[in-house]
Amino acid sequence: MAAREEEVRIRRVVACFAPGSVARPELAARLAQEMQAEFLGLFIEDLELLRFASLPFAREIGFPSAEMRTLDLAGLERQLRSQAAGLRQALAAALDATDVSWSLRVARAAPADAVQAALAEGHAPALLIPPRGDPRAERRVLRRPEVSEEALRALLRSVQPVLILPE
Amino acid sequence: MNAPLPAQALRRRCDASRLGFATTAELQAPDGAPGQARAQSALDFGVAMRREGYHLFAMGPEGTGRHSLVRARLEAEARRREAPADWCYVYNFDAPHRPRALRLPAGMANAFRDAMARLVEELAAAIAAAFETDEYRNRHREIETELAERQERALNELGARARAERIALVRTPSGFGFGPFSTSGDGVMEPEEFGKLAAQEQQRFEETIGRLQKELGDLLHQMPKWRREALDRMRGLDREVTRAAVNSLIEELKAAYAALPHVQEYLERVKQDTLENAAVFRQAKEGEAPTLFGIPLPRPEGSEGPFRRYAVNVLIEHSGASGAPVEYEDHPSHAALLGRIEHVAQMGALVTDFTLIRAGALHRANGGYLVLDAVKVLTQPYAWEALKRALRARTVDVRTLGQELGILSTVSLEPEPIPLEVKVVLVGERILYYLLHAWDPEFAELFKVAVDFEEDMPRGDGDDALYARLVAGCVAREKLRPLDAAAVARVIEHQARDAGDAEKLSVRMQALVDLLREADYWAGVAGRETVGAAEVRKAIEAQIARADRLRERLKEQIVRGTVLIDTAGSRAGQVNGMAVLQLGDFAFGTPHRITSRVRLGSGGVVDIERESELGGPIHSKGVLILSGYLAGRYAPSRPLSLSASLVFEQQYGGVEGDSASSAELYALLSALANTPLKQSLGVTGSVNQHGDVQAIGGVNEKIEGFFDLCRERGLSGEQGVLIPQANVKNLMLREDVVEAVAAGKFNVYAVRTVDEGVELLTGVPASEIHARVEARLTEFAEKARAFAAKGERKPWRPGKKK
Repeated sequence: MAAREEEVRIRRVVACFAPGSVARPELAARLAQEMQAEFLGLFIEDLELLRFASLPFAREIGFPSAEMRTLDLAGLERQLRSQAAGLRQALAAALDATDVSWSLRVARAAPADAVQAALAEGHAPALLIPPRGDPRAERRVLRRPEVSEEALRALLRSVQPVLILPE
Repeated sequence: MNAPLPAQALRRRCDASRLGFATTAELQAPDGAPGQARAQSALDFGVAMRREGYHLFAMGPEGTGRHSLVRARLEAEARRREAPADWCYVYNFDAPHRPRALRLPAGMANAFRDAMARLVEELAAAIAAAFETDEYRNRHREIETELAERQERALNELGARARAERIALVRTPSGFGFGPFSTSGDGVMEPEEFGKLAAQEQQRFEETIGRLQKELGDLLHQMPKWRREALDRMRGLDREVTRAAVNSLIEELKAAYAALPHVQEYLERVKQDTLENAAVFRQAKEGEAPTLFGIPLPRPEGSEGPFRRYAVNVLIEHSGASGAPVEYEDHPSHAALLGRIEHVAQMGALVTDFTLIRAGALHRANGGYLVLDAVKVLTQPYAWEALKRALRARTVDVRTLGQELGILSTVSLEPEPIPLEVKVVLVGERILYYLLHAWDPEFAELFKVAVDFEEDMPRGDGDDALYARLVAGCVAREKLRPLDAAAVARVIEHQARDAGDAEKLSVRMQALVDLLREADYWAGVAGRETVGAAEVRKAIEAQIARADRLRERLKEQIVRGTVLIDTAGSRAGQVNGMAVLQLGDFAFGTPHRITSRVRLGSGGVVDIERESELGGPIHSKGVLILSGYLAGRYAPSRPLSLSASLVFEQQYGGVEGDSASSAELYALLSALANTPLKQSLGVTGSVNQHGDVQAIGGVNEKIEGFFDLCRERGLSGEQGVLIPQANVKNLMLREDVVEAVAAGKFNVYAVRTVDEGVELLTGVPASEIHARVEARLTEFAEKARAFAAKGERKPWRPGKKK
């Protein structure tokens, strides 16, 4: 697999970020810089989370504080906006001074749908980094047709980056 | 009547032809110090005696060679002994404010310091490398992953249990939450759908969610403990990795110092500290300044960052030393003796650590000898007390004066005291020794050996030759031109004169060396290769000429008649006494007129000097002795009806000593006998109640003082000086005086009794003088009785002095 990977030039890094999983975006950014690849940050506002916050009895239990607090939609949206802004700042700090082409997209959708849409935009080999993924961890390699919705959901729960090759 | 002394009795010459050499270049310096046998013996004893309290006090006047003799003896002894141990201060890992003292064999301290510096460099490299290995990274990641998986697994299990009850575990921006699944099973239920549920169903969901929330809370409370466990494992891993890197390096160093248990123990502590502080080696890079809120902090001067604690402060080292140290501390302040703790400025505060401890003289002399000037130690604040404390405790405890006095409250160091094994030699004046002995009880306990230096040595047969070798030693040491035999003879005669005794030679080495240097200078001026008698004479004359301004002024005052001194003719109740003035190194004699008046009365002899508080106690004693002489000689069984007065004319600066008491007696007898005294004679000598004339000091200067005045006015052959017979042995008169005596132009008379003196001064037999005095006193007594009979006045008042 390594031999195959060496032959492939990764053109695009798609780094997924979820609410509560925006720590150390510069690691993914540095990886894109090393690979001289385009960088797309994908901040996913999970629809399921928004529905949960709309429930009248929604409570958030802090991690790792274990403190319980009320969660409402307005408050959640404020938190999401704040996290997205912080993420943009961190990426700008890491990449503005480089020649890496980068963008940050905020998607309000189911995570798998948001990633599918992003992957569909290009045909070049792309490196997908899940929200809680370790950019330096060993990568899996999949071809585009193998990335079903079910497979994608599983990938997004993993910490391993995935190299997605075109057909 | 006494005959004058022959010229040869006035100066004991040194016969150059009998010295047996041409120049001092042929002579070897004598072994030891001539004339200092007592001091040498005491020094030998004190140096060899190793018991506690046998420190030495070398006492004697300045310039007697105390320092050089002490130093030479100590250096000779020190060469026979081994170089003492080296001492270092190192960090105390248990109590940083109490630095540890490490003892190493002589010459090893610097090597140990360098070895520690290398060790730190190697540790930094080895530890950094150990943490860069794949093995370490993998094991570290494994622990992190295990923790993450444990947390994830626990959350997943909770999520699964929730799902079984149709509850979804939702990840929120700052934690987790629970919400009911929609009936379609497609994610979290919409609020509208939840609102349509039966109240019972809603309540069930809320209760279930409440229970799950509690379970999640309990789970999250567990997680910090899991993280701590993981951190402990990581620390264990770090220690393991560090130990592997450190062990071989430190064990290697320990093996090199296997014979030194203290060093072994210290290195073991270094190892433990390294294991506990491996992060310092991984993170702190030498050269990077520390920061406070991102602002670089200035480092103290000499700071070496986080590894400073592993430095070795070499306090004392003896690499290359071939014997025990012999130290002389010229400025023995408290700090100079005990050492000091320096500070450096950091952010406006003064800070210190063990690397800033500096050695004192006691450290440097430890294992050897320390020479100090007593007066300097005593005049430096707290130095004497500190020295005694160190000698008593036999340790050197580096404490600042501020700590000692308790006037500084800032945090400072308390370095571990260092054992002290030193022999201290104090050098000072005799008076200091006796004062300390009398007033400081500890002094006698600590300084048991008195090394008493003489000012002179006997001048027996063969001693001139020995002294010539002493001169040769000085010449060689000072790298001067050699002296020929005549010059040496002249030097020896001068040294006898300096001793004030024809039978002694001065061993005031400083004065001797000064004379030799100056003679050498004049030889250089004259372009001579050797120093001759002429250069020595020139040097002596030049020394006198530089110092005799006052003598010349006094002589001028007499010659011009401002100060009345007769050197011819005769007069009753008036005699020429002699005084010696000492100004710096120069002493000279000058005559003084002493007069006496007598009358009927009961007041005895009145000393005007005493009455006017210009006379010292010894002078007063001399005058009171005259009363005793008069009473015993002329009125043993009847009251003395006499009032006499005695005075040093034109003397306003005070009179002390009894060397003029014979002159005063002559003046008194002359006045009583109404017999004139020859003014061509000067008189010196004290007298006792029996009329014996006793020895005085400064006889040479006194004779020369009167001679100079007479010569100025013209030598008549009648002039001369009466001296006590006991002082003849002290005569070392100037050559011009001796020549004048030999030519019959001046005379020196030695007298044993007042009778001999009065005959010389009056030219009348003593018995006749005594008869006249007795007759006068009888006349006074009868008149007194006559007055008493008339009731006008009591002849005398028994029991009441003057």
